[in-house]
Amino acid sequence: MTPPFDERERAIVAAALDAQVPGAGDLGAVDYVEQLLTALDHDPPHVWAGPGGWAGAGPRWLELGPWERHAWRERIAALHAVYRRVVAGTPEPGDARVLHRHACEAVYGDPAYGGNRESGGWQRIDFPEPLFPPARPR
Amino acid sequence: MTDCDAVVVGSGPGGATVADVLTGAGWSVVVLEKGRNHLLDLTAPHEPLRHFANDEVALSRRHLLGPDPRLEPRTYRRSDADGDRLLTGEVNNLPSTVGGGGVHADAKLPRFREEDFHLLSARGPVEGASIEDWPVQYDDLELHYAAVERAFGVAGEEGANPFAAWRSGPFPMPPGDDMPMALVSAEAAERAGLHPYRAPTGVNSVPYDGRPACADCGFCGGYGCPVHAKGDPIASLQRSLRTGRCDLRPDALATEIVLDTAGRRAAGVRYLDLTGYPDAPVREVRARRAVVLAAGAFETPRLLLRNGLGGDLVGRYLTYHFQTFSVGIFPDATGGERGRSVTHLHDDLMIDTPELRAAARDAGLPWLRGGVVEHGAGPGPVEEASTYPAGDAHLRAMADSALRRRLWAFTVQGEDLPQATNRVDLDPAVRDVWGLPAGRVTYAPHRHELAASAYAAPLHEAIMVAAGARAAFSATSPPRGELDVSAEMSPLGIAPASRHVMGTARMGADPATSVVSPEQRLWEVDNVLVCDSSVFVTSAGYNPTLTLAALAHRAAILLCAGAA
Repeated sequence: MTPPFDERERAIVAAALDAQVPGAGDLGAVDYVEQLLTALDHDPPHVWAGPGGWAGAGPRWLELGPWERHAWRERIAALHAVYRRVVAGTPEPGDARVLHRHACEAVYGDPAYGGNRESGGWQRIDFPEPLFPPARPR
Repeated sequence: MTDCDAVVVGSGPGGATVADVLTGAGWSVVVLEKGRNHLLDLTAPHEPLRHFANDEVALSRRHLLGPDPRLEPRTYRRSDADGDRLLTGEVNNLPSTVGGGGVHADAKLPRFREEDFHLLSARGPVEGASIEDWPVQYDDLELHYAAVERAFGVAGEEGANPFAAWRSGPFPMPPGDDMPMALVSAEAAERAGLHPYRAPTGVNSVPYDGRPACADCGFCGGYGCPVHAKGDPIASLQRSLRTGRCDLRPDALATEIVLDTAGRRAAGVRYLDLTGYPDAPVREVRARRAVVLAAGAFETPRLLLRNGLGGDLVGRYLTYHFQTFSVGIFPDATGGERGRSVTHLHDDLMIDTPELRAAARDAGLPWLRGGVVEHGAGPGPVEEASTYPAGDAHLRAMADSALRRRLWAFTVQGEDLPQATNRVDLDPAVRDVWGLPAGRVTYAPHRHELAASAYAAPLHEAIMVAAGARAAFSATSPPRGELDVSAEMSPLGIAPASRHVMGTARMGADPATSVVSPEQRLWEVDNVLVCDSSVFVTSAGYNPTLTLAALAHRAAILLCAGAA
């Protein structure tokens, strides 16, 4: 599995996400994006985190049906194109919406998806830790 | 050679109820569900799969419950004047998954009131609307309401709602814990002369039917329940499966109702086995007695239209609930992160009062009915964040959190009058990933809905302020008036956001004005039944799930008895 960004590109993407939600980079937003862009490199894909240890299971991801993999393959291919433009400094008008969406999901979504490092996004808005969180990779 | 007694298309509250009744009566049933199974193990003893967590990303952003609009786009327009479509993508999608809409709902399960079944007789006609009395009345349905309340497990407080219809017995369990802010809004509503009450809710307040009590995790509306305390139809499906007479097949997209050579009886259903994607094989299941459609008021007419069944009225008289959100911004946190999304309701806007009569007169209408009003919390942090601008303003807005932590809202599930021009049909060009025509919604509210909303909004804003809100404002879904930039930027979208979809295969006593009979059988193919909210004659102003399940319960019992 090849990471989608090299260090220079990670810095560019981090800055772009920071422009949407300041501090997003420090909270793992680039990791969130990288995890999403490589979600289908895993089996099961890292698209939907399964329930956490509270459900009696270790860290796990939910399986996708073959047609769902198709949808995510298309979706992720489109996202790769967005981030290639971001890295190249040639974004299209709609790309800012994608960056904004991903920055919000990375900062305020569950840490299972690679962002919200140590729940820092939730801490800064006083959002309580979920009672039944999804599994988080160790 | 047949495979079963009945094929049921759809495993949501309607289909699960039918399967429960039929298998309980000794019938063999195959349930076809086009969505994935995240609910329960298909092998005995059919324990929960426990796929759900408190996870805003998976549930609200990544289509865990389906349908994925990339695979199954829908289209929307307000009228012919918009051309073939105004948007393509997600149009009030109910979950496409085992358990259907029961999985994502926060399970407010009120009954309709007596008047709701004979609105034409009780209130009279309204110009431009096609109001009819139902062929089934509340008294016919009461025992079925009681049965599905027991089946799903409804918590509630008898006598708390002074406007409620009569009941033959108490709720199966007492109400759960109140959300603290609901007590504040309820008290303010009472001071304004309204009558709030604890919402009948399909969420266990105590251990019930082998499922635990709700933990008030706060991830209720829009989420699958992590512990299955919610009235998703898992209990009905488990009962069906445990008889050994139910074969539940997820990933099975019904494409064709197979008729006999005379075209008068259904012999079975053909479906795509989606697990074989991209070359999903066509399979067929043969039914000895009946085919039951319970795919919801969007997918059921879509299936009927593709098959040319049901006549010219299929898809027409589509109704939603015209939603009016009156939002209060409070100085302090409202505590909405925990609890069951909504714990209190009031029904006053459904009642014929001098104030509503005056408002109707002012609007040039004979009467006005609003809808049940939910006292509820705001969205999760990802949704909230997405509504704010980028940059430093984003951080300030999130810290201030006017639209989540300090928000409390009244949501009117406003009665939507039936109009023949509001419909689901097949989009002339857009196809889903299987190559089937996408469903298309054509919908515009009647002026009744707009007038009722205009009455409700200032009333509820004033109550919010009386409850301590620093500011209050209202918004509707769909947006009122012409579309402008603010409507197009609204997180509610331009299509109706309501997941309450009803009335596209109306029931009635006259084949000329209805799609199904009072027993919910297609007039032209009488062993095909429709057992979802498609059959609603009017939308009432109440969450539809309990009523569609009660109707399904009744229809299944009549089917078993051969009385229809």
